[in-house]
Amino acid sequence: MNEALYVFPGQRGRPSVLFQSRGGLVPCRSREPGLQLTVKSISGCKCNAISSKNGTLMWEPDAFPFVKAKTCTDMSWIKEGELSLLEKISANILKAGPMPKHVAFIMDGNRRFARKKNMERQEGHMQGFNKLAETLRWCKHLNIPEVTVYAFSIENFKRTEDEVDGLMELARQKFERLLEEHENLEKHGVCIRVLGDLNMLPLDLQQLIAKAVFTTRNHNKCFVNVCFAYTSRYEITNAVREMAWGVEQGLIKGSDVSEALLSECLYSNNSPNPDLLIRTSGEVRLSDFLLWQTSHSCLVFQSVLWPEYSFWNLCEAILQYQLNHKSIQKARDLHREHQALQQLEADRACVAELLQHHSNGKPVDSQRRQEALLHYTSCREERVRDFLEALKHKRDSFFSDLCSESLLA
Amino acid sequence: MRTRMALMYSLLWRLLLILVHVNRALFSWLHVRIQSWKGRLWERAATVLLLPISLVGFPDFQNNLNHGPDANVKPITEKRTGGGRSRCLSDGKSLKKIPVHIGLLVAEEEPSYPDIANVVVWCMAVGISYVSVYDNHGVFQKNNSRLLEEIKRQQQDLLGVDGSMHSVEFLSSGSDQHQHNVVSCRPTVRVLSPDDGKQSIVHVAQQLCRSVENKERSFKDINVSMLDLLLRESKNIPDPELVVKFGPVNSTLGFLPWHIRLTEFISLPSHRNISYEDLLGALQRYGACQQRLGQ
Repeated sequence: MNEALYVFPGQRGRPSVLFQSRGGLVPCRSREPGLQLTVKSISGCKCNAISSKNGTLMWEPDAFPFVKAKTCTDMSWIKEGELSLLEKISANILKAGPMPKHVAFIMDGNRRFARKKNMERQEGHMQGFNKLAETLRWCKHLNIPEVTVYAFSIENFKRTEDEVDGLMELARQKFERLLEEHENLEKHGVCIRVLGDLNMLPLDLQQLIAKAVFTTRNHNKCFVNVCFAYTSRYEITNAVREMAWGVEQGLIKGSDVSEALLSECLYSNNSPNPDLLIRTSGEVRLSDFLLWQTSHSCLVFQSVLWPEYSFWNLCEAILQYQLNHKSIQKARDLHREHQALQQLEADRACVAELLQHHSNGKPVDSQRRQEALLHYTSCREERVRDFLEALKHKRDSFFSDLCSESLLA
Repeated sequence: MRTRMALMYSLLWRLLLILVHVNRALFSWLHVRIQSWKGRLWERAATVLLLPISLVGFPDFQNNLNHGPDANVKPITEKRTGGGRSRCLSDGKSLKKIPVHIGLLVAEEEPSYPDIANVVVWCMAVGISYVSVYDNHGVFQKNNSRLLEEIKRQQQDLLGVDGSMHSVEFLSSGSDQHQHNVVSCRPTVRVLSPDDGKQSIVHVAQQLCRSVENKERSFKDINVSMLDLLLRESKNIPDPELVVKFGPVNSTLGFLPWHIRLTEFISLPSHRNISYEDLLGALQRYGACQQRLGQ
C-alpha cells in the first residue's frame, strides 16, 4: 500500500511525484537522493481532479489508476548495491588498519535539512531514515557488524503533538516494512534490537517492535540496535532496578553489585561497547546517549547534516578512530585492570567479614583465607550467572508476550 | 596475488596516516605563526590554502582557526594575561553565557601543573564558579597538593598580592566534604578521577540494593530522580555544562558518565603553553552552542 507512486507532469516540466501513505496523499519532490523510480507513463491530467496546495499538485486517488510507477525502494531498511571503484579502494585501504566493530550514530539534523531544502519536517525525517539504510549498506561493505542508532529520545516526547505523532507513524511504517521484508533480512542475517523504555510507546507500536525483534532474534551476521524512547539515565536506572529486583528475588546479594554486573543489566548487554560514536549536524554533546557504554569510545563530531551524510564522512570518522586507536586501547586496558582490582578488593572484604563471623575473632591463616576467597568468588559468579539467566528470560518473555498478544488481537 | 594486494593496501594505509600527521603538524605550525603575525588576512589565506589539502583535517583545529581571536578581544602580547582580574571579569561579562561548572579533561601524558593551574585561575577570574580537573590515570588526584600550590602561585601572579583574599575551595575525593545542597559562595576547584564516574554510580546502586535487601524499599521505587539525588548526596558535583578537552585523544576517558548528558565538548590541542586567548576562544564557542533539550 505504501509504495504506490503516482507521477504526473508537474511544474516547470519536472515530473511531480506523490505516494500514498496511511495519512493520505503526501507530496514529495522528485530527484531526491535514493529515490529510484521508473516512470511507466505520464498522461495528461484532468483539471477538475487536481487541487493545488503550496505549488505542489495533488489529486484524488481514483483519477489516474493506471499511472503507477514502479515501486520505489526508498522505504526499505536494506539497500543493495556494491560500492563504486573509488569507494572500494578507500574501503580496502581503511580495512588495512584497525576497524571499529561497533559504531553508534546520533542521527541529528533532519529538521534543519528539511528547513534548508524547504521540505516538510516529516520528509526530513524520512530522508534521515533513507540515509540510515544507506549507512547500513556502507557498514556492511566495511565489515562493521554492529550499528546502534539514536532514533527517538524520551526528551523528544516534549515536541509538538503533531511532530511526535508523525514520528510514531513513521516508526510504524518502518517496522511494518521490516516485517514485510523479513526474508531479505534473513538472507542478510540482520538482527534488529530495539533499546529503550518501550512501555512509553503506544501499544500497537510496541507490538510491532516486539514482532520485529522476535522475528530477527536468531540472525547473527549483522546487528542493528535502534534506540527508541531511550535516554542513558533511564537505561542506567533500569539496570539498577533490575539488580534490585534480583536482590528482592534472592538471586543475588547487595554486595554482588559491581560495574561489570551493571553493564550486563543495561539494554545493550548483548553488544560490546561502541568503538566509535559519530554525531552529525555539528552539535558537540552526547544528549543522554550511551553515556555508560561510550566512556572509552572514540567520539567524532561532524558538522554535516544527517540526511547529507556521505561515504566519505564515514571514512573520515573511521580514520579518526584509527588515529586514536592505540591511546584509547591503552585507556581501556587500564580501566579494565582497575576494575578487576576493585572486584578483587571487594571480594576480599566480603571474605574477611565472613571469616571473622565464623572464626569468632580467632586469626585465620593465609591459606584458609585464599581458599575462602576462591570459594566465595566462584559462588558469587554462579549467583550472577543464574541472575543474568533469569533477567534474559524476563526480557525475552516481554517480547514474546507482546507478540502473542498482537496475534490474538 | 591476494597477499600482494593486502600488502599494498597496508602500505597505502600507512601512507595515509603519515599524510594526516604531516597535515596536522603543518596546521599546528601555521596556527602558532598566525598567532604571532596576528594578521586576519594571513589567517584567511592560510586557511584557504590548506583546506583543500586537508581531506581529513583536524576539524577541531579548523574550527579554532576559523573562529579565531574575536575582534573584541584586545590582542595580548604576553602569553600570560597581563590585564589582571578586572579584565578577565569584563571578558566574562561579554560572553553570551558562562558555564557554572567547567570540566578540564586532560587527555595527555605527563600533565604540566603550571599550565593547568593557569587555566584554572583564568576560569575562576572569568567568573566560572566550579572548575574540575580530570585525567584518566588519576595523576592529579595523587598529586593534588602540588596542584593546589601551583594554583595559589598563579592566583598571586594574576591577581597580585590581594589575590589571596579571594580564597578558593579546593576539593578532592579524599577530603571530607558534606556539602549536601549548600551552594558554596567561593569558587570551587575539584580534582576528579575515574572513581568519581562509574564507580560512584555503582556505590549508589549498592546502597539501593542493600536497602532492598533490608526490606527498606522495593525495587519498584527506584527511579532516575532517586539515583540522581543519591549521587548528589555522596558527591555534590553539579552537571558540567562545558568540558574542555586537552590533547589529541577523542574520548571522554571515563569522565563522569552520569553527569555529562548535556555537556558541550570543546577540544583544544594541548594544555602545554596554553594561552588565555585559547581558553577564551573555547568559552566563546560554548556561548554559541544552542541546546534544544529534545524539542
